[in-house]
Amino acid sequence: MSHRRVVVTGMGVVSALGQGLPATFAALEAAKCGLAPISRQIGDDGIHTYHGPAGVVAPLDTTALEHRLGARPLAHLDPLSAFSVVAAFEAVEQAGLVGDPVLEHRTALVWGAGSGGNQTVEESYARVFLKGATSIHPLSIPKQMISAPVSHLSMTLGVQGAAFTVASACASSGHAIGEGLWMLRAGRADVAIVGGAEAALTYGSWIGWVALKAMADDACRPFSIQRRGMVLGEGAAALVLETYEHAVARGAPILAELSGYGASSDAHHITMPHGRGAEAAIRMAHEDAGLALDHPVLISSHGTGTPLNDKIESQALQNVYGAALDQNLVIATKSSHGHLIGGAAAIELVTGIAALNAKTAPAILNSLGPDPECQVPLARETQSIGYSALVSNSFAFGGLNAVLIAKRV
Amino acid sequence: MAITADQILDVISEEVPIDRAQLNPEATLESLNIASLDMISVMFALEDKYGLIIEQNDLADAKTLGDLIAVAQAKSAAAS
Repeated sequence: MSHRRVVVTGMGVVSALGQGLPATFAALEAAKCGLAPISRQIGDDGIHTYHGPAGVVAPLDTTALEHRLGARPLAHLDPLSAFSVVAAFEAVEQAGLVGDPVLEHRTALVWGAGSGGNQTVEESYARVFLKGATSIHPLSIPKQMISAPVSHLSMTLGVQGAAFTVASACASSGHAIGEGLWMLRAGRADVAIVGGAEAALTYGSWIGWVALKAMADDACRPFSIQRRGMVLGEGAAALVLETYEHAVARGAPILAELSGYGASSDAHHITMPHGRGAEAAIRMAHEDAGLALDHPVLISSHGTGTPLNDKIESQALQNVYGAALDQNLVIATKSSHGHLIGGAAAIELVTGIAALNAKTAPAILNSLGPDPECQVPLARETQSIGYSALVSNSFAFGGLNAVLIAKRV
Repeated sequence: MAITADQILDVISEEVPIDRAQLNPEATLESLNIASLDMISVMFALEDKYGLIIEQNDLADAKTLGDLIAVAQAKSAAAS
């Protein structure tokens, strides 16, 4: 089936590695780790404390945004929405679409988030349960709803087309980007602003991940021996997708072509991955992109650093690519910025496209040595590459998988 | 210690948010485009910062910043 080609004309990111894609990719190229120990508490009883490595976003610089919008639209945002607005504005600005009439009628917003505004939820209920209050702030619901980011994107950017949130845990933004791609292919819009975010470095979220025994207490070491789990990050990443015709007609910068999307479900377990789902999504993405499995690719892995994910992902890559796997290269940028959950797929696609364009693959950090159960070609050091295509994997809790393929143009 | 007018105006400036220089006691909430929802945010901030509890009903007749300051200071004086 032939359909409209879709290209990327803008990208933006906020993470522990910095605000903006240039700062973020420079940090990745320099093999800088944005993860560091944090020690926090909620309330002041000294009991509800939490500690460990995390990827914290530094206070946002919203000077340029406030200059354009005024301070009020940016006040009272949960960090989830604040990260989203800052990342999306960077992408829309790079695409040269701020204030463009296309935003009013022919633009869609599809945004991923694993959960809503955790900080708002927890501060509201801390007030009730720790301080004995019986009322909470009237903005609690509007700030915490999982669709708040996309509403703020619509308001701040002036987007009046279809806008909604997609939730599939750690694959949320992968599905958001893929579904945005199909909205353009199907002719439902000419531009789609897509991506995702997470802001879950809060007490309740933290102890939840600890209870699952999913969190490393030392570092994020994807595909390494003695890896102990994931490290939570926070932030957002955004892309402006556009039909090729629309981008060319207005002389927009084309950063990549988004050519493939595969989505599948394991139908297996709420936390344990099953390789069949991952394999199916990767194969589907290649088929969708018309990209042969023996075409050399850069692989932006899901690479969480949990013992099971990295093993299953390695097996899936071996099964899909066979002998051709050796000509590919696997990166795992969660080792630098942490796991952005709902924003993970977006930041890994954005940094992967930046890697293709810079012809540089960022190193996987913190390895203690090869794991015989993860025999895949890993970028152990930052290195020059010549790949023309990127495969970006996202495999979520509950067996929800999204794989995206982008090509250098 | 009773809360000062400046402390109250600082909180309003931060919470709405609005340029501090625009905030003088004669200005009406309407002319400053301060909605009732903004005022509830201000009340929550006053409680968090100064332990000052103001109910929504207390502000029912407040039209200007001066009215608001008077309500807050009366509450503050009654509490101290």
